[in-house]
Amino acid sequence: MYTKRNDEIVTDAGLELLIERAKSDDADAFGKLYDMYVDRIYRHVYYRVGNAADSEDLTQEVFMKAWQAIGRYKITGTPFLAWLMRISHNLVVDSYRKKKKDELHLDDDSWITDSAPTPEEAAELGYGQKRLRRAILELHGDQQQVLMMHFIEGFTYAEIASSLGKREGAIRVIQHRALTRLRQILEKEKDVR
Amino acid sequence: MKKVADILALCIEDIAAGMSTLEDCLEKYASMRQQLEPLLKIALSIKEPEDIKPSTTFKVRTRVHLMEEIHARRAKAKWWQIGFGAGAQRTVRFGWSRAAAIVVAVLLAASALGVGTAYASQDSLPGDVIYPVKLGTEHIRLMLTTDDASRVRLELAFASTRLQEMEALADTRSDKIGVAISGYQRNMKTVFAETEQLEDESASATLSETVAVAISRHIVILCRIEDKAPEESREAIKQAQELIGERQLRVLRILAGKNPVRATEITLDTMQHWLERANVAMAEAKIKRGEMALCQFVALRGLGNEIVQGAYGSNEEFDIVDEMNMQCTSNHLAILGAIYKKAPEDMKGSVERAMRLSAEGYCQASNSLLASGIRHNLPEKPQLPADIPDGVKARILDNLPEETPLSDEIPGSSGSGDGGPAHDGPLNGSHQSGYMSEDESH
Repeated sequence: MYTKRNDEIVTDAGLELLIERAKSDDADAFGKLYDMYVDRIYRHVYYRVGNAADSEDLTQEVFMKAWQAIGRYKITGTPFLAWLMRISHNLVVDSYRKKKKDELHLDDDSWITDSAPTPEEAAELGYGQKRLRRAILELHGDQQQVLMMHFIEGFTYAEIASSLGKREGAIRVIQHRALTRLRQILEKEKDVR
Repeated sequence: MKKVADILALCIEDIAAGMSTLEDCLEKYASMRQQLEPLLKIALSIKEPEDIKPSTTFKVRTRVHLMEEIHARRAKAKWWQIGFGAGAQRTVRFGWSRAAAIVVAVLLAASALGVGTAYASQDSLPGDVIYPVKLGTEHIRLMLTTDDASRVRLELAFASTRLQEMEALADTRSDKIGVAISGYQRNMKTVFAETEQLEDESASATLSETVAVAISRHIVILCRIEDKAPEESREAIKQAQELIGERQLRVLRILAGKNPVRATEITLDTMQHWLERANVAMAEAKIKRGEMALCQFVALRGLGNEIVQGAYGSNEEFDIVDEMNMQCTSNHLAILGAIYKKAPEDMKGSVERAMRLSAEGYCQASNSLLASGIRHNLPEKPQLPADIPDGVKARILDNLPEETPLSDEIPGSSGSGDGGPAHDGPLNGSHQSGYMSEDESH
């Protein structure tokens, strides 16, 4: 497997070496990991908080926490990106707790374009990205995390399971429940309209 | 029999991989069609958001901040490890036990690294394997320095090393330049913090001069680095420039209270640098760079005028300060005229204000000399460049400071301590017009 870093392709072995060096207190290696993953983490956070200012603060915090905790990261376990996303998930949840929900601009979805599906797809599927995002953000904890990691970030069930410390079967059940709940939220919204 | 959750997951994977369609799946699991269809439709609607990317400025700034934090934490940990305690101040009184701890630390470091490695690391750059050894050696040298002033000089020397690293990296490995920039900022922050804490009056005077001279040299080097550094590093370099630019004003004010001639020399030299930079930037149509340089010039010009007014204490050599100001200001006005011609319309007002401020400084110095009966060969009034519009000239020369009787109070002279003018020059409070305060200038 390969990971893309700017214009440079990093092999799994190269990535492991970088992580090993970062674990041995090599700030430069950690800087490279930052370069590789900052865009992905920012996007992950942005999807959830919906504005640049909070996304920047939280992204910065994710990497500070990651540096502090990297000694405990096990290369053989969760993929590094999934591990970073777990940190960002926890930080976003914390910031939800600290701030009122509306202060996190969850309703600000002007940055999302509904152009992802073609008109035919939209008619067929019936859900716009803005509505979906709002509904996903109403899900709780693991349900939200599983849908985002699978559908937005493209992780496999095995990777999500490893990241959340659960079995693959459990992840599939969480996904099923999350989609069922998502359907209820969207249906309810349709009724209100 | 498979559970719904497993079948749902299987269908999602197959459809995503292009191995089947929604309809295929629903046909395959026809008995579950009613359950599966709405969930699959929702699942297939969730798309990766459109291209959301953080700004380059944010990425560079965060990287620099990250490296700074990492190095700061490491330094703190190292201090703690040798027994100073995590929150210990750098200024410590050395007991025998602490001295012994340091000696042990040095011996351990020397034996672990080898003297040859430590020596070889001195030429290393961020990204090199032995670069941490270089930083470690610097830490040890700082630990062994007990005198506050010596430690400031050492930090200044390390800051110069960081600048050399930046210059070398800008040419070859620009992706590592952020490490050197954050190291430089860290060194200079320590310099400023320790300089301001110095209690010894004479050491403070000498050191403020050393720091002021170093900063003006650093400003020139940082500009050179900015010119050749890659775009993504420029924001961090600008931040470093702003940090030392702002602190330079503070250090020069301290120096002006002790040695106004030297403070004036350094101020005028740095002003000249910024003007030349603004002029070149305008010629190359690099407007933002020109604006920043002009802004730095204006801040220093304001300080120069304050020194002429004797705002920072008694000055027995005021005639030297005044003459230096008049001579240099004539040259400054000529360069400002050249900048004015090249500047875009919306920037001409700023250039005009800089000329006005320079003309005021000239008049204050000239009036001061005349009032003291000191003759000089320079024109009484500032000579403006011939080719700027007459209307602009008229505005600049309108209501310039006249030779007036001595006033009792100098506006903004709280630093003088004696509440009155330091020399017999005319101090008519002219800096109300067109002055840009330090805050406004940044």
